[in-house]
Amino acid sequence: VRRLLIGLALVGLCLLSVGSAAAGNGGIGPPSSATESGSSINTLYWMIIGITGAVFILVEGALILFLVRYRKRRHMPENEEGPQVHGNTRLELIWTVIPVLILIGIMAVTIIKVPSVNATPPAGSDPLVVDVVAHQFYWEYTYPNGVVQVDDLRLPVDRPVRLELRAADVIHSWWVPELTGKRDAIPGRTNTLDFEVRKTGTFTGQCAEFCGVQHAVMTTTVEVVPQAEFDAWLGQQEAAQADGTSDLGEQTWAGVCATCHGLDGEGDVGPAIAGNSTLSDKEGLARLLAEGQDNEGIDGYMPPISTGWPEKQLDALIAYLVGAGLAPEPADQGEAQDGEG
Amino acid sequence: VATRVEPVIPSWKDGTVMRWLTTVDHKKIGIMYIVASFLLFFAGGIMALLMRAQLAHAENGFITQDAFNTLFTMHGTVMLFLFMTPLFVGFGNYFVPLMIGARDMAFPRLNAASLWLFVIGAVIMLASFGAEGGAARAGWTSYPPLTEDAFSPGVGQDLWILGIHISGVSGVIGAINFIVTIHNMRAPGMSWTRVPLFVWAMEAFAILVIIAFSALAAAMTMLLLDRQAGTAFFLPDAGGNPVLYQHLFWFFGHPEVYILVLPAMGMLSEIIPVFARKPIFGYKAVAFSTIGIAFISLLVWAHHMFTVGMPDGLQTWFMIASYAVAVPTGVKVFNWVATMWRGRISFKTPMLFCIGFLVLFVMGGMSGIMVASYPVDYQVHDSYYVVAHFHYVLVGGSLFGLLAGTYYWFPKITGRMYNERLGKWHFWLMLVGFNLAFLPQHMLGLMGMPRRIYTYEQGGVFEAYNAISTAGSFLMGIGFLLFIFNMAKSWRSGPRVGNDPWVADTLEWYATSPPQEHNFDKVPYVTSPRPVRDLRLRLQRDQQ
Repeated sequence: VRRLLIGLALVGLCLLSVGSAAAGNGGIGPPSSATESGSSINTLYWMIIGITGAVFILVEGALILFLVRYRKRRHMPENEEGPQVHGNTRLELIWTVIPVLILIGIMAVTIIKVPSVNATPPAGSDPLVVDVVAHQFYWEYTYPNGVVQVDDLRLPVDRPVRLELRAADVIHSWWVPELTGKRDAIPGRTNTLDFEVRKTGTFTGQCAEFCGVQHAVMTTTVEVVPQAEFDAWLGQQEAAQADGTSDLGEQTWAGVCATCHGLDGEGDVGPAIAGNSTLSDKEGLARLLAEGQDNEGIDGYMPPISTGWPEKQLDALIAYLVGAGLAPEPADQGEAQDGEG
Repeated sequence: VATRVEPVIPSWKDGTVMRWLTTVDHKKIGIMYIVASFLLFFAGGIMALLMRAQLAHAENGFITQDAFNTLFTMHGTVMLFLFMTPLFVGFGNYFVPLMIGARDMAFPRLNAASLWLFVIGAVIMLASFGAEGGAARAGWTSYPPLTEDAFSPGVGQDLWILGIHISGVSGVIGAINFIVTIHNMRAPGMSWTRVPLFVWAMEAFAILVIIAFSALAAAMTMLLLDRQAGTAFFLPDAGGNPVLYQHLFWFFGHPEVYILVLPAMGMLSEIIPVFARKPIFGYKAVAFSTIGIAFISLLVWAHHMFTVGMPDGLQTWFMIASYAVAVPTGVKVFNWVATMWRGRISFKTPMLFCIGFLVLFVMGGMSGIMVASYPVDYQVHDSYYVVAHFHYVLVGGSLFGLLAGTYYWFPKITGRMYNERLGKWHFWLMLVGFNLAFLPQHMLGLMGMPRRIYTYEQGGVFEAYNAISTAGSFLMGIGFLLFIFNMAKSWRSGPRVGNDPWVADTLEWYATSPPQEHNFDKVPYVTSPRPVRDLRLRLQRDQQ
């Protein structure tokens, strides 16, 4: 029976290692990183797993050796005692000092690697600074020229980027594993996260600090494109958002409202809102989104979610909802209604 | 014709129930602590299995997001506050007086108060499921501003605070009782270098409980005032600071890890020598490393906060302090392994769980080295890597140690032997199930799975790892069904044992099994850390 179980465990371990090899990250390591900062973290990871792995094998090897070598045999008298060894000061000093030296080594390498992990842009360089405000349950990105993106961040390749992270309500954490480590977005303070992406592509990430009911679906994508393409896109987006022809309304609906109310407004954790007249009542909708609501018990609860929105975002949202048939045509006199929002 | 002389009286009429409810006997209180904690453990375990069922495959709709968030909140809360902490208090209650040769705890009535406060705290916590809006659902760490009134309306969060407060008070008065007992009621001759190592561990446990739970009480009070009295300790708009809560919480939270690990280590230091038939290797090193770990554990708290944006100098300090804990911990591991060297090792269930501890806890320690290197923590913090890490420490370490202690002392508490065969099945199911459940979670964390998510979209290997993890957790569940069956059946009808079935070393084996109400008629003069072995050798010498 015991052999069977050990066999099962070994088979399980083999399956695990095969599976993780298939995952393409060497099985026990983090995914390869697209930034210098993330690569430095991976280097540290591999160094530590090498050292601790060796120590683990030594300790467990000694344990298994002793268990086999010094197991009680049948011919031994019942309750026979082993030699009454009470300790050995020199040995104990050795196995206190050696771990200290190993740990000092690991710490030294960590401290050496910190500057490259931090990736603070050198003086005189021209980092792209993006303002990131985390909300329940979306990311609002604002570029220096005022262009707003919801959940979808677009960045140029090979240029230092600085994210200035803030939070509008509760604590969140910005994490795109293939770029670099996470950084919390905390209400009342601004954190910065610096990195420089070295290859183009699309990277996904999600909020890492539990932030409420829909934390699990608070995702983000980062699309990295060549600088020229980025500049063209940013300029075009600026013009489109100024004249109301951008996709900002759709982004806002999909990233902000649909998380709780469903992509068709059919309801999920939040109630169904498709066709609700508040959606096209600018004044009422603005108030609802800014204040949230807390009606009779927890089911009537909605957090305030539009803190810090520029006016163009609300306009774009209403325009999109009316255009997509999710909201009725706005009435001439917007009567403020406190419908479900 | 046989006639019944005495009618059978139900136990609630003959006074048995009242005797238990009003007892101040440390052994009865200990048993009630142990039984209640295990009941709560099964509740917490079922919560874990429900969560694993939900995460078995991508985009599962087994339970709602609200239910999932409530489950992980209450799973953590129940396991840490209402299972492990009181279970150690229960074992400490039962065995500290016996091991130091005392007749009871120093303050028996305070002891009873501590038990019943814990029960009240547990009832409040569980009853909060029925509160308007449901139980708390902001994680066992309950970070504001999410737990502030504006984002967590409903009374669930308030009841959570109340339950933590009451069980915290229970812990602190219990800890005071332990310290007074250990300092004042040791048997004649039992100097500090002859105190059993489990008692050393309970001393460190008690000191840490007093320091850590006080910080927690401060954090809970401030949070409650924010919610109910309009203060703004953690509300940034009114000048408060949510990071302050994290400092207070982790000043409690990290020592709490050692509150839960040190007594398990103490159990190992008692059990390994008995089943290796040797004295512990380096008694003083093991005892002092206990105190060393307890002290350093008070200096490391902000390594839970590397991603909040602290200056590098501060992060470096907390990294160094965290690595410092590894040194005394390593000393313990090396000394346990050295204790087995040239021993006569028999693989009874308690010893198997000790060996499991030595494998799994060391793995947890290794991933601890990883997460304490703060740049690496930027990646793995709040991911499943960390979930795997602390389960290796708290399940692979503390729980395996606790189960070793449960099997080891079962014959002393009940006077009967458990079923060895079932015990071994339990061990192997636990070992295999545990590794299947938690080893893949390291990889999931590295692949980008944050903790506390009720769903995921990724298929492929990501989904497969989650499925393996779920299967492993259910294997552990089966193991625990065997455990319940074994304990319940053996308690009723296991073979009776004498005072000292393991031929052990410490004074609890000098008392009868189960011990009499006053524990000992006469306590022998203690001349070494192994008084019962000394006595045994003296008797053998006299016979010759």
